[in-house]
Amino acid sequence: MSAVKETKKTITITIDGKEIQAEYGKSILQIARENGIYIPTMCYLTKVEPIASCRMCVVEVEGVDGFVLSCQEKAVDGAKITTNSQALFRERQNIMKLYDVNHPLECGVCDKSGECDLQNKTLEFEVDEQDFTAKEMHRPVQNWGFISYDPSLCILCEKCVRVCNEIVGSEQLQISVGGYKSTIVNTKPDNDCVSCGECMAVCPVGALVSSDFKYSSNAWELEKIPSACAMCSAGCQLYYEVKHTSIDNPEPKIYRVTNEFEFSNLCGAGRFGFDFENKTAFKDSRKLEEAIKAFKKADTIAFSSYISNEEALLLSKIAKKVGAKLVCSDSYGLSRFLKAYSSVSGKMLWDGTLEDIATSDVIISFGGKIAQDAPMVKNHIAMASKRNKARVIYMHPIEDYTIQNLVTRFIKYEAGSEEGVLAMLLEFLTRDKELDSKIKAFIDELDIGYLSAESSVSEEEIESLKLDFWKRKRFSLIIGSDIFNHERVENIAKIIALIEKYTNFKLIVIPPASNSLGVSLICDLEKEKEGFVVGVNAPGDFTLSSLGDGDFDLPAFNQIEGTITTINKQVVPLNVALPYDGYILNDIAKELGVGSDLTIDLTKELPKEKGFESIEFDELSPNAFSVHGEDLRGYKLRNVTVEVNFELEEVADLESFDGTIVYCVNPSQNPNPFTNKSHLLQSKATLIGSKQFATAAKINDGDRVEFEMDGKKVTRVFRIDTSLKGTIALNPIFDMGLSAFWVSSYRFKKVNINKVGSGDE
Amino acid sequence: MSKVVFSTWRGELIDNRNKPQEEWVESSFSFPLEYNKDKPSRAFIGWDGVAIFDENIDAVKLATEYAATYQKYSEACGRCAPGRWGGRILFDLLDKIARGEGNFEDIEHLQEVSRTMMETSKCEIGRTVPKPILDLMEHYKEQFDACILEQKKSHEYESNTSYIAKVTAPCMDMCPAHVDIPSYIEGVRDLEFGASLQATRQTMPLAHTCGRVCPHPCEDACRRANLDEPIAIMELKRLGADYETDHNLAWFHPKEPKPPRNDGKKVAIVGGGPAGLTAAYYLGLEGIEVHIFEELPVLGGEVAVGVPQYRMPIEKYNKDIELVTSLPTVHVHTNTRVDANMLREFEKEYDAILLAFGTRLSKKIRAKNEREEIKGYWGAIAMLDRVNLWHKYKIGEPASKELKDKVVVCVGGGFTSMDVVRCAVREGAKKVIMLYRRDEKTIIRNTSWEEYHEAVEEGVEFIFYSAVEEIITDENDQLKKLKVNRFELVPDPNGGRPQLVKIEGADFEIECDFLIPAVSQSADLSILPEEWNIELTSWNTILTNGRDYMSSKPGVFAAGDCEYGPMTIVNAVGQAKRAASVISRYIYDGKVSLTDEEIMEDHLKKLGVYNKNEKIKGWMPGIPREVSEKLSVSERITNNKEVNLGLTGEQAIAEAERCMRCYYIAMVAV
Repeated sequence: MSAVKETKKTITITIDGKEIQAEYGKSILQIARENGIYIPTMCYLTKVEPIASCRMCVVEVEGVDGFVLSCQEKAVDGAKITTNSQALFRERQNIMKLYDVNHPLECGVCDKSGECDLQNKTLEFEVDEQDFTAKEMHRPVQNWGFISYDPSLCILCEKCVRVCNEIVGSEQLQISVGGYKSTIVNTKPDNDCVSCGECMAVCPVGALVSSDFKYSSNAWELEKIPSACAMCSAGCQLYYEVKHTSIDNPEPKIYRVTNEFEFSNLCGAGRFGFDFENKTAFKDSRKLEEAIKAFKKADTIAFSSYISNEEALLLSKIAKKVGAKLVCSDSYGLSRFLKAYSSVSGKMLWDGTLEDIATSDVIISFGGKIAQDAPMVKNHIAMASKRNKARVIYMHPIEDYTIQNLVTRFIKYEAGSEEGVLAMLLEFLTRDKELDSKIKAFIDELDIGYLSAESSVSEEEIESLKLDFWKRKRFSLIIGSDIFNHERVENIAKIIALIEKYTNFKLIVIPPASNSLGVSLICDLEKEKEGFVVGVNAPGDFTLSSLGDGDFDLPAFNQIEGTITTINKQVVPLNVALPYDGYILNDIAKELGVGSDLTIDLTKELPKEKGFESIEFDELSPNAFSVHGEDLRGYKLRNVTVEVNFELEEVADLESFDGTIVYCVNPSQNPNPFTNKSHLLQSKATLIGSKQFATAAKINDGDRVEFEMDGKKVTRVFRIDTSLKGTIALNPIFDMGLSAFWVSSYRFKKVNINKVGSGDE
Repeated sequence: MSKVVFSTWRGELIDNRNKPQEEWVESSFSFPLEYNKDKPSRAFIGWDGVAIFDENIDAVKLATEYAATYQKYSEACGRCAPGRWGGRILFDLLDKIARGEGNFEDIEHLQEVSRTMMETSKCEIGRTVPKPILDLMEHYKEQFDACILEQKKSHEYESNTSYIAKVTAPCMDMCPAHVDIPSYIEGVRDLEFGASLQATRQTMPLAHTCGRVCPHPCEDACRRANLDEPIAIMELKRLGADYETDHNLAWFHPKEPKPPRNDGKKVAIVGGGPAGLTAAYYLGLEGIEVHIFEELPVLGGEVAVGVPQYRMPIEKYNKDIELVTSLPTVHVHTNTRVDANMLREFEKEYDAILLAFGTRLSKKIRAKNEREEIKGYWGAIAMLDRVNLWHKYKIGEPASKELKDKVVVCVGGGFTSMDVVRCAVREGAKKVIMLYRRDEKTIIRNTSWEEYHEAVEEGVEFIFYSAVEEIITDENDQLKKLKVNRFELVPDPNGGRPQLVKIEGADFEIECDFLIPAVSQSADLSILPEEWNIELTSWNTILTNGRDYMSSKPGVFAAGDCEYGPMTIVNAVGQAKRAASVISRYIYDGKVSLTDEEIMEDHLKKLGVYNKNEKIKGWMPGIPREVSEKLSVSERITNNKEVNLGLTGEQAIAEAERCMRCYYIAMVAV
């Protein structure tokens, strides 16, 4: 053991003669990159653990025989490292020669050409002739959903396998090892792939490409417009890649979406659901007049969270001007939650972030179908599971077996019993804590036996969490969107705030829709609509729609400038990828006397008392990541201090949810009517339930059924999914157009299912 | 010592070609000159060079086949650019030369590709494969030149020489169960924990168990020790097993279990401990019907009733056991003590019998007045049965009833005695003393540093260089005190092993309530039918040849402690795995045979794979081994909570990244 030097926290090393202080534990490559020193790599991907397949990153270390792999090897104190020499150049050149063996010479038609790592490094290492060959094999192209895999172009860097496992957690891709015959295999090509396209994004060559994009453009002809995905509250960074439509059509078109894949992720909705723009609009002054008239007589302005912060502020101004109520059904619950939460926590917002989830070793996910609702949250759970062996406790009425590889304990509770279950959790987590008398009284009054019986969560299940928490250090509590439209959301919010306050759990609340958080902070919302309703991306007596199906057209998210507020409490900018020819909300506002020159003039006016900053849109930080991977986009909200002032109500009696229940949930890659407008994701929604559900509802697979939801009739084809249990069926609403935004009640709904025909009719 | 024509093994250069026999130099290594009975081998080629035994060897073909083997075996690797493409090119170019189509440029390219592979391959397999090929190209240049100049096939290009190869690694070779260690570590590094577990289970079904309580002989053969410290091989095994258990996933079998054969063939296994379970698992995977007969009410053998809960939580061991019993052809009969009559029946009913009943008789310490009837004299096996059956299964009564507030003396020095003293502490003994004949260093070597250290922390008093001379009892035959002799180590003037010599006049007495002998255990051979005349070893265990594990009676096999004597779990697993393989063929053809893989395994063991003097190239030295968190004394002393918390995720990845993947290929031409 004497050979081991004592490890220090801070070490000093020398790279290419430059003395550098660094933290022990970092790899040589990490330290080099942080200090602007270039080491070539083919398989290195910053966001995952080192893969170490390409061997390009080898360096020389003084006193060490042979070449050392810089991506994986930690730097030790005093190491003197050389990143380039003739010998290293020759070895790297030789590796490139090997990579180039039999690589098809089809750069002329390859999608990757111009942004291909193989192409770049082949040139960099001056490989201009092929010394060796090997017998070629037949390697047919495979199609995996939206993705096409060409094994003959694959260099087996394994980045795709890594992200599928370590980032997405779906373990779909594997490397089939077999030397020269090695290939990437999709273990479940027909099902279960979350179609996120992460594998494709990180592919350094043309092996994994979008089937849709294939052969449609050269990479260098596309203009990259940096923006954010506004399809859910994660607000992931993306680039819309734009070019004219064709030789005879100069209209710009989005050809594909890419992202800063080195550091961040994107799900299928963002990557493939990009062409939801409103093309039909033109400047129709008659319609503008109508819209102005409608707003003037509006009693209610109803809108959805598919709106920028600036537009939300604009609507507030209009509402004030015309004396209308503001109603936003997919944010109202969050706004109620936040008020109640703040009254206990003394701050406006939760402290946790997605990154906190990824570094946790205990995660409780409560009240949401995470894999579908919030793919990015699920990804960060996957990272924690893979890297930290995190205990993942999944509390929900529906056990999601598709993520069993990430979850270590399912705790299933009855639909509707969220308040009771959280109260049990609070009691368990604060047992040895010094509590305020008010809170102590609340806990003492809890009838745990009753709560347990009604929620079907046994006391043993809660006790068993002790085992999960044993010797663990970093805790996250994720709150999903089931609770926002729960009647008891306020008391639920207070209980959650208490858990956050008295335990070391970091709290992460998932805003239920794109900009719900922004809307909740900016607008004073009311619950009920009344009188004449103007709908802004929501149904109304007069409807303004980005889908192009209303009385007045609005631009879609890929056609506007503005900001949205994300789950990470970050205000991130959107940029215009495609032109919009019609009038916009600001034109109406101007006519009503509350507009500004440009919508983005409002960026600096966003309410400072809610944590926004007074920064001009054009002065927001660059819409990008730093070379070290920091997310520089926009800014983080200040977490404003709020007065603590609350009363806890007794836990309400639990309403029983018997019989057939539907749960409103959209597939992860098609979360809303906008993605459902995109040509790749457009699909037909079906009601999916277990066999038990079919029996209870007296229906069969393939039947056409009808039921009522929030006063609206819904017709669906029913399909049985044998992996589901219980009498809860999954009901997507992405195909309902703007009326999807009418659905404003608790996500679990007791319904009567009526068979109205068979699927073919 | 081996008689060879030529050898470059491990740096030696022996060239006896064209020399008269009497001038031949012998190699200092034990090469497999005879591949199998009456089957001489012609050459041996591997990671460290090449040895030729037959003067007529075709060196070009040998090199080509070695490269081909690398291709074939690259499922063990094939995951880095130099290895993957380099290996293919190596083979293509060599084969081109061997079939008479090569040119001298090909030789240059071969040398260049070899260099790249040797410098930058991910694992040792890619780094070492070119070495013997380059040796052959250098020393048998004339054969290569001839193929090129005359554009003719090499002289044995189409001969029927067999080339038999095997992938190994120093750690795999040292592991009695030959677990594919680099592969399961790679699974952890790749965060593919299921794949990691599958790699382990190829030869080791008890992944939870051997991820916790294995004495890890592999770590003594870890090449990383040549650089800094050995990898924490054992603890990395836990990751895969914990992943499966924590997520309640379907079993990760190393391969899809074959459907039940239902062909009337069946195997009886006597004893449901590690050896019995292992054999049942591998026979069950083949779809062969097996019946395990276990004397105790529970499966698991000594790991269940010997190893304490704090070291091997039964919930985890039960997972390993469930893996085995989940197979449809594995049948279990607990509470069934097999005796000679039953064995006679088995002989008629079953196609093979595997004896795996361990060693469950506690040996005496050979003190004066030593009798089992003494009150307070308690054999280690019986005492641990009592402790474990109570704590793990709530069978029987707690041992604390006897041991609370008592003074307990244990005589031992091995793992069992450590279990005894640490359990006695947890059962509330007032004072616990371990008497050991030799010194601290030896006890650590016989157990582990952790085990010894933790026992000391828990308050066990170790008295070294001492042995009980006499047991003193009162009129009720109740143990009162022990008379103990003191010894010292006297160096042998002739340079031999130092001798323990009694120090006259240094005797002392210990007053105590319990004496627990834990010096060793022996097999209960009374169950064997006398007329079987089963041959025994000199230390009264069942004799086999240590390769196929068949006893002197055909169809009766033996594995684990009853064959070897009290030894490790991993040893029992290794033996039973081999026995299961032999049995799976024996029940069909009545022959005792080994696979090529197994024959090579034994050859390599003899040759030795690990070279502790090798200088490591291409790795950063000075990266310390990760150490898992252990419960503090106060957290563990009054309970049976698992003491070792295992590596955290972060630690495990860091530790896995230290593994140098020392895979090698060895090949024999026969």
